[in-house]
Amino acid sequence: MPQEMVINPGKCTGCCTCALTCAITNHDEFDLTKAYVSIARNEFAGTFAITFSSLCRHCKKCALACPSGALRVVEAAGA
Amino acid sequence: MYGYTGKILDVNLATREIKERPIEQEWPKRYLSGLGFNIRLLFDEIPAGTDPLGPENVLAFGVGVLVGTTVPTASRTEASALSPLTGRWGTANSGNFWGSELKFAGYDGLVIRGKAPAPVYIWIYNGRADILPANHLWGRDAWDTVREIRRQYNDEGVQVAAIGPAGENLVRFASIENGPFDAWGRTGLGAVMGSKNLKAVAVRGTGPVDAARKKEFLQAVQQTRQAIFSSPFYGPFSRFGTMLASLPYQEFGALPGRNYRLGAIEGWVETRSRKALPRYTSRGVACIACPIACAHWVEVKDGPYAGLKLKDLEVTPVIGFGAGCDIGNLPAIAGLSGACQRLGMDMVSAAAAVAFAMELYERGIIKEKEIGFPLRWGDEKAVFTLLEMIARRQGIGDILAEGTKRAARNFPEAPRCTAEVKGLECFLIDPRARWSTWTLGYITNVRGGDHLRTRNPVENLRYNENPVPYLTEKFGFPEDMYEKLDMPEHLKKEIFDPVTKDVNIPKMSKWAEDLLCVYNALGMCIRPPVLHTVGPTLFSRLFTALTGIAVSPEEVMQAGERIWNLQKLFNLRHGEKPEDSDFPPRFYEEAAGAGPAAGQKLDREQVKRVLQEYYRARGWDEQTGTPRPEKLAELGL
Repeated sequence: MPQEMVINPGKCTGCCTCALTCAITNHDEFDLTKAYVSIARNEFAGTFAITFSSLCRHCKKCALACPSGALRVVEAAGA
Repeated sequence: MYGYTGKILDVNLATREIKERPIEQEWPKRYLSGLGFNIRLLFDEIPAGTDPLGPENVLAFGVGVLVGTTVPTASRTEASALSPLTGRWGTANSGNFWGSELKFAGYDGLVIRGKAPAPVYIWIYNGRADILPANHLWGRDAWDTVREIRRQYNDEGVQVAAIGPAGENLVRFASIENGPFDAWGRTGLGAVMGSKNLKAVAVRGTGPVDAARKKEFLQAVQQTRQAIFSSPFYGPFSRFGTMLASLPYQEFGALPGRNYRLGAIEGWVETRSRKALPRYTSRGVACIACPIACAHWVEVKDGPYAGLKLKDLEVTPVIGFGAGCDIGNLPAIAGLSGACQRLGMDMVSAAAAVAFAMELYERGIIKEKEIGFPLRWGDEKAVFTLLEMIARRQGIGDILAEGTKRAARNFPEAPRCTAEVKGLECFLIDPRARWSTWTLGYITNVRGGDHLRTRNPVENLRYNENPVPYLTEKFGFPEDMYEKLDMPEHLKKEIFDPVTKDVNIPKMSKWAEDLLCVYNALGMCIRPPVLHTVGPTLFSRLFTALTGIAVSPEEVMQAGERIWNLQKLFNLRHGEKPEDSDFPPRFYEEAAGAGPAAGQKLDREQVKRVLQEYYRARGWDEQTGTPRPEKLAELGL
């Protein structure tokens, strides 16, 4: 079945597991600057903004690793 | 190197010399990283007779080698020095994002020595460091300091370890704040920074961490995730965090209510337990790479504390201020928690100091005119004022800023009102009401009176049997938890009763302390879902695949034992005596009051016996608690 990624920013806990996973998956090292997904943490406000780069290869490994449910892989609607 | 950056940054604030020192070749296998590197370094660098607040004291930050990767909960960094509170090994552990940032900036650790002639902060960015003026930061609270440094660099990603006014004023239990809401809290390391005129260490890094055997490493990471997710504690901890413990201690009568005189408090469940928490909290907030997110964003929307926002309301301030000082509502406790963060003070010792003063006031040992206002139980405004006075060393705050052990010398009858071990205020659970590996840990802990270096990985808070002799605690979990526990079979047979599975406390203490040394050396979090499920086998796989240095599960545990023994040797060098490993007189001489444990006292002979059993399990002299030469030889020390 085709799959797609669902993003629910309100569930993000700011752990950056997505970005670390992206970096090791696509660049063979844990380097947050090379990840195609990044989390901007505003610590005093308790908010975390998820941003994807245009270079994202849509491998969905970030969503498979996300522990909070902010990024999830689901079966594509209507497929 | 893989996993490691291979370098420790060494900054001399007096000479302004900044060096990089390579990590020694044998260190990874023998000391792992983090806490292990700290004790290896500082054991050689802090001789007997060193003044903890003098320029010769050395402060080290050691990042766990697993930090900066996807190993779940690998976020933690150990800070260590000679403690100004205890005069012995001072050490504290913290997560958040500071340690990973230091690693991304190119360093496994940071060593700070000397004293700057004027206030400074250290700025570390991708393999270089500068000592910069901090006159504009001196005097500011920790929250303002973090904000200002991030504003200067126009970057919310800058991670800041900072002291508040308490550290500047050499309060002996000052913390180093890790960002706004986390801290290296215990043993007064903030005062060491203050004594060096060091306001903050700000870090930004954009470098990588490399794995030696990527495929194997990611497999081990996945096994670790599955292990943590399989823990029955994973869901509850994600939902409630440390506040899970707020109910059992009330039920056991083990709260330190009104400075250890009320073990249970009427209305506790409705006002101060996790049941009262959801009104103020929302979603989880995590440290880097953590799937648990035990912190829960706090926002107080109405009442006198409206507008207050915190990363979390942990059980520590709830028990410290809520029980110790009998503050009866969570918003006020959140406010007091925030005050400790801003002022830069360890919440355990700060709450204990205030509760101690409240008892002295109640007993008439100190009077209103000496304090400046009435200091009654539950008076939150008085507590706020006293915290400020301690941090700024004003009035009676100047005496309390010395810690309860020293402060008590100023008042007759006051020493019997303290609850400290080795000079460190106890962690707010009454050992008279609950005897366990946790409580034995108060007196065996190398840093003093808390359990945080001796967590039994299968502690069961549903039971509180307090058997005599004090040698066992109940296991009480389903059989599969015993089967899954990552411990060699021969040790399981020694530590657990073959029929009841009851836990042998002294033998478990030895195992747990060595295991926690491994956690604090590798940068892992000791929250129960992790501690229950991740042991030497997984650590061996993770470490070996990440670093390419083969280390067996046995070698992992031996590294933990080596680290524990070296910390003990540090303390012995700095004057620790056998009688220091004991509970304060109150727990032997006064019965616990109110609640199910009312009337209970500790039995000296029982404590002595269990301590001797612990020393035997450690291979130490059973009378003096000194490591035997053959044990040190076995560990290569």
